[in-house]
Amino acid sequence: MSNAASGTTVSLTRQPGAAAGHAAPKGRRRGLRPPSGLPWILPAFVFVVGLVYYCIVDTAYISTLNWDGVSPTPQSVGFANYTQLFHDPVFWDSIRHTVYFFVVTFAVQTAVGFTFAALLHSKVKLPNLYKVIIFVPVVIAPATMAPIFRQIFSANGEFNSLLQNVGLGSLAHPWLAQSSTALPVIMAITVWEWTGVTFILYFAAMTQIDKEVLEAARLDGASGLTVLWRIVWPGVRGTTIALAMLSVIGALKTFDVPYLVPGNPGGPNYATEFLGTFIYRISIPTAEVGYGAAISIMLLILALAGAAAFGLRGTRRN
Amino acid sequence: MFETRRLSSKVILQVVLTIMVIPFLLPLIAMVQESLSGQGWGNYRAVWATGVVPEFFRNSAIIAVGVIVIVYCLTMLAAYGFAKLHVRGREIYFWLMLAALTLPEVVLLTPMFTTATTLGVYNTYWAVILPLAALQIPFTVLLTRSFVKSIPDELFDAARVDGANAARVFWNIVLPLTRPMAAAIVILTLIGAWNDYLLPLVFLQSPATQTVTLLPSFFVSEFSNDQTKVAASAVITAIPEIIAYLCLQRLFERGLTAGALK
Repeated sequence: MSNAASGTTVSLTRQPGAAAGHAAPKGRRRGLRPPSGLPWILPAFVFVVGLVYYCIVDTAYISTLNWDGVSPTPQSVGFANYTQLFHDPVFWDSIRHTVYFFVVTFAVQTAVGFTFAALLHSKVKLPNLYKVIIFVPVVIAPATMAPIFRQIFSANGEFNSLLQNVGLGSLAHPWLAQSSTALPVIMAITVWEWTGVTFILYFAAMTQIDKEVLEAARLDGASGLTVLWRIVWPGVRGTTIALAMLSVIGALKTFDVPYLVPGNPGGPNYATEFLGTFIYRISIPTAEVGYGAAISIMLLILALAGAAAFGLRGTRRN
Repeated sequence: MFETRRLSSKVILQVVLTIMVIPFLLPLIAMVQESLSGQGWGNYRAVWATGVVPEFFRNSAIIAVGVIVIVYCLTMLAAYGFAKLHVRGREIYFWLMLAALTLPEVVLLTPMFTTATTLGVYNTYWAVILPLAALQIPFTVLLTRSFVKSIPDELFDAARVDGANAARVFWNIVLPLTRPMAAAIVILTLIGAWNDYLLPLVFLQSPATQTVTLLPSFFVSEFSNDQTKVAASAVITAIPEIIAYLCLQRLFERGLTAGALK
């Protein structure tokens, strides 16, 4: 197995104490060489690579066209779509939103998910009830919750009544209709939907931390917070890196919530435009298919670069 | 993780946990409350009376089952091939597949759209099943490959010495020993397929094929934005998902942690 290969596999699966001792056997005993595996991997390989790579090549080709998607005579325009893209403020806005979205949702989910995991490993009462409440948002489709959240954050919605009830009525306003607060609302909804995954991964990772080390630290007089910061947090680092990679890809894929929750997709005034909603709007309602394809190619490059950045970090640490 | 020998610290932890969990509960309460305001249970009767709800559920179920079957079969075959059989240039195949892991589905829209119209699968289940499966397989292969790898080689060598061919080994060793992984694959794929919104939005145009994730938009236009009925339809859509989770809680959690646990 090449180093790069073991790096990313491990970054998704590495756990404390389990990093070593997983090298692939080098050369088997003679006469026992396993049969060819090609027929076994081909169905999946042809299916995935065929469909995905065909689509990517086709998108790359379409991105050099001026085309509405139906006309039989698309016009070749070279790299004009890309030139247009680099001068399109909405493109840069959506990239900025994606970065901002990634940083905030990842930080909040990590902090909240890690805290929940630590608390639920601390012999509290009714642990399963808490677990269920944190995890239920993961299984409900974002599209199902979207109209509910739109109502909650509307001018006469539940969130404003809550603010009034706790004496913060002066803060009440139409959260989704105002550019400055629409994006934070989208982020809050995403945190609500995905913290369950972060929690469950940290919870699982913490069960693998050596109990004797924890006990020894406590006997030495370390407080709960010191143990958490000095032993538990470094112990689940592999999970944190894997979650960071998933969050990068997740941020680039963001579509459902900014498409469905604001009054108009990506609105108001492009304040919640992400690459996904941008591509959709350009390709389907606006029918500038060539331009949409150019944005898609940029998105693809960013996704590969983002995944590679975290994959490589995992390798280097290994 | 925290030491809780004193009563006061126990109470503090419990209170902190409860305060932290409230924001996760409130939207669900708001959803139920909204669905019962106005006409009360009449909202549910009105939603049910449209008669489309079972149809949307059936469509989601067909799509989810289709995706799960394809993903499970192809993943198992490929994971065995990648982990235990001889493939020249194996890592190249593996990495070409893995690159698809990062692919946002929105990138596939335009080529899929033109292909689907040419092949005549537009507005059929296949237009959603095939891309969903293709985007899911890289991740499940990644997980299952390392799982199959951890099965001792001696077991495979012994089977081969006894004259079992690769197909027999697959059937009698790989499939039974990967059963915990199978559950994880099914749950992961189920959540992904059931909750997907973009592909049905683009490729399914009639209520006869549309999925539950399109129900809210359907009711928004059906009841001209009557929030209480839309909320009732959201509750109806969410309840089976919550029940499925509560019944199979351990499988759901194991499914999502499959990548993190050895």
